[in-house]
Amino acid sequence: MFENIKKDFTTRTLVLMPIAIAINIAIGQLVYLLKLPIYLDSIGTVLVGAIAGPWAGALTGALSNLLWGVLPVVTNTFAVPFFYVALVIGLLAGYFGRLGVFEKESPRWLSVLIGAVFFFTLTFFITAFLNLNTDETGYTTYPTPTDLFSRYLIVFIIAILVGAAVGYFLLQKGGYAGLAGLATGLIAAIISAPTAAVVFGGVTGGGTDLLVAAFRASGAPIIGSVMAQGSVSDPFDKMLSFMVVWLILRYLPARFKAR
Amino acid sequence: MDNKVSMYVVRESGLHSLHPLTKSLMVICLFIAGFILPYQWISYYLFIFIIIPLAIWGKILGDLLKAVWKVSLPIAISVLIIQSLFWGEGTALFEMWGLSPKKEGLIFALTSIGRIILTMSDLMLFTMTVRPDFLMISLKQIGMPSSLAYIVVTTLQIVPSFQRKASTILDAQRSRGLETEGSIITRAKALVPIILPLVVGSLVEVEERAIAIEARAFNSTKNETSIIEIPDTVLQKNIRRVLIIVIIACVIFGILWRS
Repeated sequence: MFENIKKDFTTRTLVLMPIAIAINIAIGQLVYLLKLPIYLDSIGTVLVGAIAGPWAGALTGALSNLLWGVLPVVTNTFAVPFFYVALVIGLLAGYFGRLGVFEKESPRWLSVLIGAVFFFTLTFFITAFLNLNTDETGYTTYPTPTDLFSRYLIVFIIAILVGAAVGYFLLQKGGYAGLAGLATGLIAAIISAPTAAVVFGGVTGGGTDLLVAAFRASGAPIIGSVMAQGSVSDPFDKMLSFMVVWLILRYLPARFKAR
Repeated sequence: MDNKVSMYVVRESGLHSLHPLTKSLMVICLFIAGFILPYQWISYYLFIFIIIPLAIWGKILGDLLKAVWKVSLPIAISVLIIQSLFWGEGTALFEMWGLSPKKEGLIFALTSIGRIILTMSDLMLFTMTVRPDFLMISLKQIGMPSSLAYIVVTTLQIVPSFQRKASTILDAQRSRGLETEGSIITRAKALVPIILPLVVGSLVEVEERAIAIEARAFNSTKNETSIIEIPDTVLQKNIRRVLIIVIIACVIFGILWRS
């Protein structure tokens, strides 16, 4: 076990990690300045995970968030309590990398399928969430799927079409990387929710707060709202990050990868 | 652009001259006490009766309050609005324009804001009075691997230069006609031509850096010595022991009280 961990950290990896952390912070800040509704602050983490293995990825993620709170000019203290989420993202990226998601090219129909299924599930969750019934005793019942399908048929069809289009044009041949990103994003959303709810009362001062407010207004508890918000934003964000890394590895000189 | 490497504020004070490890333990202790002790307004008490006096001792009260204010205000406003207006069931304080802030929500919001203020001021107090290089040296002395210290110190130096590089690329692509303003889609499209050159360019540097540090005996297993001596006293060593006991006591008390 320990030997395995040590094997991840060659001199080249050690040199790569500060650069990866800088990539995380610089791009995270750039995205913030361009005022996009995502974060993209884990590209470097995923990159190290993909190139140097899970433990190097995990350390890069954790250090990125911890150092983000210390750096001048780009200070983002809110990232600090989420360092363990970044750690898990790096770890997962490393294990997915070992499975080869960043090297293999997926057929395009697979990307279309992934996009469609993802959008369908997302719509399903959101509509189910907005239609929760809570009776006087506080017992919560979920609406039945058939009910939802008949009520929101058009919404579901649109979601599937949009998903298929996203799969075809955005994922292209990186279907495996995209899928790994979605899975990572879901896990990130689930494990970051408790911190967001306990430390920050469910609010982080960003654009995603509007989503939290919407879920709160529909009667969901704080932790549920945060989780719902996360499961909307995070999978997209991580899917994009994994895709960007997939692209970067395509553009890197062959000599770099050969090492 | 600010060329400072960290948020460290240069002052002559008793707090500044404390050993970095003493201050680390102090900060951890405050954080744990604020979150674990089962008193509702504990975070405000800790902020007023411990952090502010410490800041006065360190002669950084003005800087600290300014920084905390800047970071906490937007999120505090968000928390207040979302938690008091969108709190599900509860006693309404008053009704106005169909909105009715709830008392329970308001109390929850104030508790959250207290925690945010405590977390922020705690971290700021630390970063403003601890020199990063001193912290690294003292952590190495208690057994942290020097490779980890290398990553942290290099990151602190690399991020500012990385940001300059990013804005150079942004300007260069703009002068070639890249649209960076407008709809979300236009702005999202602008990301790829900025991110790819930035990332690929810095990854190519990895090789040179690896050779450079290996040529300077980076992998040597001999004990290294430092030119900087960090003053430590017997009193501080004892204080550190007490702080560790206090931290453990807080955790045990918190767990017992809850169960």
